[in-house]
Amino acid sequence: MILHTASEGITFARKLENDSAEFYENLAQRNAEDAEIFLSFAGENKKNVVQVERAYYGVITDAIEGCFAFNIDPDDYTLKTAVPDGTDYADILKQAVEIEKTIINFYTDAAEQSRSLMADVPRAFTMVARKRGNRLEKLGSFLKR
Amino acid sequence: MALLEEPIKEVRTLKNYIDGEWVESKGEVVDVVNPATYQTIAKVPISTGEEMDAAVEAAKAAFPDWRRTTPVARARYLYRLKELLEENFEEVSRIQTQEHGKTIDESRGETRRGIENVEVACGIPTLMQGYYSEDIAHGIDEWVIPTPLGVFGIIGPFNFPFMIPLWSAPYAVATGNCVIVKPSPEVPNSQMKLAELVEEAGFPPGVWNVVNGERAVVGRVLEHPDVKGITFVGRTSTAKEVICKKCGETGKKYIAQASAKNFMTIMPDCDVERTVTAMMTSFFGNTGQRCLSAANAVIVGEDDAFYKSFMDRVVEQTSNIKIGYGLDESVQMGPVRDKGKKDNIISYIESGIKQGAKIRLDGRKDIKIVGDYPETCFLGPTIFEDVTPDMRIGSEEIFGPVMSVIRVKDLNEAIEIANANPYGNGDSIFTTSGKSAREYQYNIISGNVGINIGIVAPMAFFPFSGMKDSFFGVLHTQGREAVRFFTESKVVIQRWF
Repeated sequence: MILHTASEGITFARKLENDSAEFYENLAQRNAEDAEIFLSFAGENKKNVVQVERAYYGVITDAIEGCFAFNIDPDDYTLKTAVPDGTDYADILKQAVEIEKTIINFYTDAAEQSRSLMADVPRAFTMVARKRGNRLEKLGSFLKR
Repeated sequence: MALLEEPIKEVRTLKNYIDGEWVESKGEVVDVVNPATYQTIAKVPISTGEEMDAAVEAAKAAFPDWRRTTPVARARYLYRLKELLEENFEEVSRIQTQEHGKTIDESRGETRRGIENVEVACGIPTLMQGYYSEDIAHGIDEWVIPTPLGVFGIIGPFNFPFMIPLWSAPYAVATGNCVIVKPSPEVPNSQMKLAELVEEAGFPPGVWNVVNGERAVVGRVLEHPDVKGITFVGRTSTAKEVICKKCGETGKKYIAQASAKNFMTIMPDCDVERTVTAMMTSFFGNTGQRCLSAANAVIVGEDDAFYKSFMDRVVEQTSNIKIGYGLDESVQMGPVRDKGKKDNIISYIESGIKQGAKIRLDGRKDIKIVGDYPETCFLGPTIFEDVTPDMRIGSEEIFGPVMSVIRVKDLNEAIEIANANPYGNGDSIFTTSGKSAREYQYNIISGNVGINIGIVAPMAFFPFSGMKDSFFGVLHTQGREAVRFFTESKVVIQRWF
């Protein structure tokens, strides 16, 4: 099902953030050494939700095309968050990298499509995508250890 | 998509809010129906004239103290109200969807627009400053003081039940007046919620009153000698024949915002993709029940290939609009507010066919509703081609999801036919040419003009304008003009011996 309305887009962003937060919380439990950083990722996800929602609720008006804001297929941004028991730590990190790449793609596409929602919403999406880019670098450095 | 939770869970009989108290009405009670589910969600009283009198008395009694409350202190009540509105943003929005039928994005947009008016009114300490001239003659100074007048009536329509009373009420109370809001009995719940927040914000009793009802209470507030002014949004016939006449007879100030037939002019050089998307919102947003909805699409030029490809795209995108209950986030168009309104729209569709317009998309047929809801108030979007400005669908306000497409040879003709229509509320042009845009903006006789904007809704710090038979009065709601409307200029000339 394609997502068209601004409300759907925001709800989907919230879902991605919550699902990936849960993934990092599980990861923190499994890996005491890096727990702090993974918990910080999960906390950051919650802040991202606030940032995106604040942008949306702040600019949504009837002058903009709120019901025709997106053309997003959620299947393009499916996250694999389940971690089977016994999975190698390096593989879990690779899984995290894939999650981040998928979410960055979502925010980048959503920012491009939501230009009509004034500047605030695409800007919030772009900022979150950028933050996630930093996260990718951190995950990459873990993989190199 | 799952349905968002409905905020109204049980049917309760609404009360009036008079003098800081929730008062049961003695009037008969009618059902408030959710147009999507067709279930009763509340019962609203049709209050009596005596109940309106009681509200006027309360407002009149509250006025002297409220006027003496400093503008800075009055603004603080509004700041508190703004905070409460933000905290209750989602509930207020969902109430609108539940009782009106609009989509959740549209309701949130309405809530935001309403709050923006409260925000602007918070600036009242500077907005209502007067001005001063020293030495207009030797040793004589002169200044003007904007002073509040007393009690104002605010009569709200059904299409924007939450926002439209906020085009007036925050400015009225910020300037030191007291108000009586009369919501539409079809959609009173968001104003009830607003009154609860007004109470929570601590406004003194009598400053902000709400009386539910219909003609009897409107008649009483119009005739009451202690009511100094009225703001009204509704039909031109009521504005002209009732509001203007009665206010004239009783010496009241008034703002009467009325009907519309909005023309969207599409130039062949427009950005097609963004124009078509804007058309979806403008023609079919709020299910066409908006005084700023585009009604006539005027396509300029004799290039048949452009016309065909443009219209194919419009029809395709329109056909894909998802219709259903607005609390489903995937829905792009909700139901019409009630069955009577739907029947009226259908009668216009029938008249279009009868008068020879070509129906390209028929909203009466094969309505695909997302979810299991009765068809009672649902209507799909309709597109007519080969419309002429003299047809009823090309000239009269339909107030529904109907697009009438008119072809003209050039921009001058587009402007001429729009200007020949009796209404002038919100008209727009879509073009990439600055010259065309400037020519359009200069020549169009319309209160709100859009250039590549489909819904020409002015921000709270601009007046919500209107021309010709779309507006009666002098000053408009919102912003500085509202501050002027709710105050009278007291001029003082001073000399000391």
